[in-house]
Amino acid sequence: MLPDATAIASLLERAGIVGAELSSEGGPGLVVRVERAQAGAVVQGLKDSDHAFVFLVDLFGIDTGEHVDIVYHLRSIARDEELFVKVAHEYGSDLASVWETHPAALMPERETAEMFGLTLSGHPNPKHLLLTSGSAPMLLKSVEIRTAEEVRNR
Amino acid sequence: MSDARDTVAHAGWLTADKPSLPDEIPLTLKRVPSGVDEVMTEHLVVNMGPQHPSTHGVLRILVELDGEEVIACESVVGYLHRGIEKLAEHRRYSAVGTLMDRGDYVSGIHNEMAFALAAEKVADIGVPRRANWLRVLMGELNRIASHLVWYGTMGLDTGAMGQFLYAVRDREDLLDILEDVTGQRMMFNYVRPGGVLNDLTPRAEKKIRAFLSTFDAYLDEHHALLGGNEIFQARTRGIGVIDKETAIAFGLTGANLRASGVSFDVRRDRPYAAYDEMDFDIPVAESGDIYARYLVRIEEMRQAARICRQCIDGLPEGEHTAKVAKVLRPPAGEAYAAVESPRGELGVHLVSDGTDRPYRMRYRPPALFGLQAAEAITPGTFLADAVAIFGSVDVVLGEIDR
Repeated sequence: MLPDATAIASLLERAGIVGAELSSEGGPGLVVRVERAQAGAVVQGLKDSDHAFVFLVDLFGIDTGEHVDIVYHLRSIARDEELFVKVAHEYGSDLASVWETHPAALMPERETAEMFGLTLSGHPNPKHLLLTSGSAPMLLKSVEIRTAEEVRNR
Repeated sequence: MSDARDTVAHAGWLTADKPSLPDEIPLTLKRVPSGVDEVMTEHLVVNMGPQHPSTHGVLRILVELDGEEVIACESVVGYLHRGIEKLAEHRRYSAVGTLMDRGDYVSGIHNEMAFALAAEKVADIGVPRRANWLRVLMGELNRIASHLVWYGTMGLDTGAMGQFLYAVRDREDLLDILEDVTGQRMMFNYVRPGGVLNDLTPRAEKKIRAFLSTFDAYLDEHHALLGGNEIFQARTRGIGVIDKETAIAFGLTGANLRASGVSFDVRRDRPYAAYDEMDFDIPVAESGDIYARYLVRIEEMRQAARICRQCIDGLPEGEHTAKVAKVLRPPAGEAYAAVESPRGELGVHLVSDGTDRPYRMRYRPPALFGLQAAEAITPGTFLADAVAIFGSVDVVLGEIDR
């Protein structure tokens, strides 16, 4: 369910997060966009708040063409609310792990880092999850998939 | 568990020479160490899989053993990775269903449905009522088929054989029905944006009624055969306990979450298709052990049959699909749609840029979250129990690897 945007805005303010942008237009729900440096604090603040976003539904990336958006899909079980936190990362930049707040992020973070060519910091096991080491970051738009003919003539 | 660090300690990621977590986490922390502990017993690192009969697909588990006790374990996945999310960006909306089928190949209907729902949301397509009821009917039949596979293989993991044959006998009937309606036994491609591919034929309806007339009695037999077995109970009661906090922390969904005492079901809490018109119960257990997960799934099969009966008796008249353009071009936007697949919340996060292909499709694999929870609770148990624990969370590698 959609949480109240003003309540979330004041909650973030109380947690000391400035410059968060909230919108629910054309998105999957209420989207909170924050600075990269604040991502960990926002996720922790939302978990500790009285809204209790304790459940990390999913963590994944979107290549927007200008940067990589990392999306944290959070859920509050107590209030039955859903929230999407989006954080813009430059290509090849560092993805700080939130596994201490949400252990559920352990494997999705490894996958997101390898698929979008980000380095993973603060993670207990930052190896590739699905791809062989050295594979191109597949989900970047700049990485083309080969046609059947290209594979045959390889 | 109030602190994630407790989970890590519980997960056995701390070694004897690193009894507590430093503030700066060393990147090598989770490497399986080899050597000897204080009592000079040699630890053995065993590589189970990727072609091991109890890994439910191509899963490789590295376990460090002290005698029979698991000290640390790490799962290695990716052997079945086909790049479904990348391929989806190069296909029209109508062609993504075939990719989704190949994700979780044991419950294809649910995968297709998750994508179809997301595409309908982003393209704003209405679905006829009859199509929604058919989706529920086929989805629940598929759920029973999937849980029967789990039931059969769960017994195999704990050393029983007979129940597998009976489970496959019943699943065969279900696959016959699904083949009759969809034309395929596994890769259905039946649920499409806007509705479903085919309407129910009189022959399929007769087969479904015949199946439902005997299934409850057969289910009692299944339960007596495995759940009533003293050895199975000894192997599963109190083993592989996932408490409520751990289940939430590791993102468990579906039957695994409900077996740990959290009553969340997408069908009830985020109703899709025609679930808001159905009358069914959601089984919840408190103990969080393997036996609780077993009981929840057995009861889910009973409830699924109950939903099927309501669908077949009350199937509304009308079209089985809406009129949808051959080439969908949804406006730019984003949508998230989730279904309750037999493994948990299967979500599709779809980003459209206004063209005829998805800009980005994220497939949330519920079994991946189950796998990491199993990996976390296994240290401290016996190797034979580890096999049962990984089986009990119902991992399907096609879905984890995508």
